[in-house]
Amino acid sequence: MKVFLALLALSGWALAVVFRVMATREQKRRMLIELAPVHNEHTPLLPVDAILDSLPLGVVVVDVNGQEQFRNSVARDASGSRHEAVLIDAVIERLSRLAVAGSAVTEQMELVGPPLRVLVVSAVPSTSTGAVITVEDITVRWRLDQVRTDFVANVSHELKTPVGAISVLAETLEGETEDELVKTLVRRMVLESHRMASTIDDLLELSRIELGGEMDVSPVDINDVVRDAIERSQPLASKRRVTVQSTPASGDTTILGDRFQVLSAVGNLVDNAIKYSEDNAEVKVLVSASDTHVVIEVIDHGVGIPVASIDRIFERFYRVDRARSRDTGGTGLGLSIVRHVVTNHGGEVNVRSREGEGSTFSLTLPRQPGVTSTTMVINDERADHNG
Amino acid sequence: MDELRKGFHHELDEVRTDLVRLAAAVIEAIPRATAVLLNGDLDGANALIRHDDEIDSLSIELEERCYQLLALQAPVAGDLRQLVAIVKMVADIERSADLTVNICKAARKIYGHELDPRMRGLISRMSEQAQQLFSAALESFEENDAAKAAAIDDMDSFLDGLQREFVRTIFESHADTRIDLQVAIQMAMVARFYERIGDHAVNIGERVQYVVTGWLPEHKGAARFRSGNDTGEFPVVQPPQG
Repeated sequence: MKVFLALLALSGWALAVVFRVMATREQKRRMLIELAPVHNEHTPLLPVDAILDSLPLGVVVVDVNGQEQFRNSVARDASGSRHEAVLIDAVIERLSRLAVAGSAVTEQMELVGPPLRVLVVSAVPSTSTGAVITVEDITVRWRLDQVRTDFVANVSHELKTPVGAISVLAETLEGETEDELVKTLVRRMVLESHRMASTIDDLLELSRIELGGEMDVSPVDINDVVRDAIERSQPLASKRRVTVQSTPASGDTTILGDRFQVLSAVGNLVDNAIKYSEDNAEVKVLVSASDTHVVIEVIDHGVGIPVASIDRIFERFYRVDRARSRDTGGTGLGLSIVRHVVTNHGGEVNVRSREGEGSTFSLTLPRQPGVTSTTMVINDERADHNG
Repeated sequence: MDELRKGFHHELDEVRTDLVRLAAAVIEAIPRATAVLLNGDLDGANALIRHDDEIDSLSIELEERCYQLLALQAPVAGDLRQLVAIVKMVADIERSADLTVNICKAARKIYGHELDPRMRGLISRMSEQAQQLFSAALESFEENDAAKAAAIDDMDSFLDGLQREFVRTIFESHADTRIDLQVAIQMAMVARFYERIGDHAVNIGERVQYVVTGWLPEHKGAARFRSGNDTGEFPVVQPPQG
């Protein structure tokens, strides 16, 4: 009897388990049905246009005759200037014709602007409509790729060139007996080793500043910093016969920051202004102050920065003109240091430049670090010359 | 009331769109040609020169389409002015594309020669100004805006000024032996190319004024000639009706 009762209980438990499993499966099946986007007269339509508007890429739908049926907000706003919109539309139309005919096509467009923009336009045939065209702005990705490629080339150039030169000069020196030539070779070896040393110094300074957390924050008088920076650059200015004039701000120009870092940033800007000025030119350093910020402007009338390079000058080791870089003697890290100092202080660096007319770099530093977000603003004065 | 000539106006819209696309291609080609010149980009030069064949082909097609519409649809009044103006504008746009090609060819000829920063800066400014003139011409055509079209002439005087300043800089650079004679000549020609692009944009602006108001700047000199009025005063010309 006991055995029979035990068997009955066991089979009851087994049945309960089987029913529970079946119930779970049914529940899951019901959920799937509810989740599936089934449309009938009772279910509300999904706001497809709103969904497509929230996509980070442009979407255009055309019917089998190539007539546009839908365009999301990104595709409507993808164009920068009027002529760019016209060119993008022309490509969309051309590719949509090919897609309606049955071929999936992709094309990369480079619009020189300025500013330069890179777009990828893809068109795929659709069974439910004629074709779907997507427009993706890949400018940032394209630029990053270029920066990465150039960075490797620039680093190897800056680091390997002096080492290679020293090695070749030493090999030549080994077999040389003529005193005058030996002196020349040694002089050049010293020059190259100084160049190498200043690159390493700048790299170390940059990595120190990049850490940011080790900032030695104390009250810093910007008028004093500018005076010190100009004093330090005097040997270079005299060598190039460039006059550096400063106009300190009246009133309080004290900020809370790292004196070493701010001095390094201002010094780099003043050095650059001198290096890229012509002989007997004048460099101006202006300081102005408001309740919340202190602004330092370094103005030169030198070679200026080409339009194509202006948004790249803050990259490490980037050179506008590599052939000229050996004459100016810089390491290619100065403006990277400036950018990092500004980042650490929550300030802003602004550039206005025109090739052949000179450049103006403005550092805007908040009185208290971190008051504003860090930005790098670049203007090349094109807007000032629209006739 | 339903429009009577729906088919014709649809075709006219297509012709207008094609003209806008042609102009947009030139607006894009101007800074490209400048980049080719300033960077000594030989591949870029060849690409732009090849691209000009496409612009030539599109120009011919567009012109033929205009003649077909004129012959088959017998447009009148505003429609007629529009088609006649487009035929003339196509020539201005096509010629401007040729001038960007000329800038590329100049870049090939001076390849390897350094230009001083002042000259490079002025080239950039001429290029930007020429591009702005052409953009204004395109917008005035698209929007049928006679006032914007009239302003292009004033904008062009700024480009003319830049060209004169550039030529002075070329002479100075050549006198200081910073550039040799061949480069100086090529640069003077390049300045002329930009200046001519600006002139073509002004022409387009004048055609837009003609489409919208029926007025042509040529009426100014021609009317003076006909009336024997050599005072330089602007004679009043009544726009045609329609």
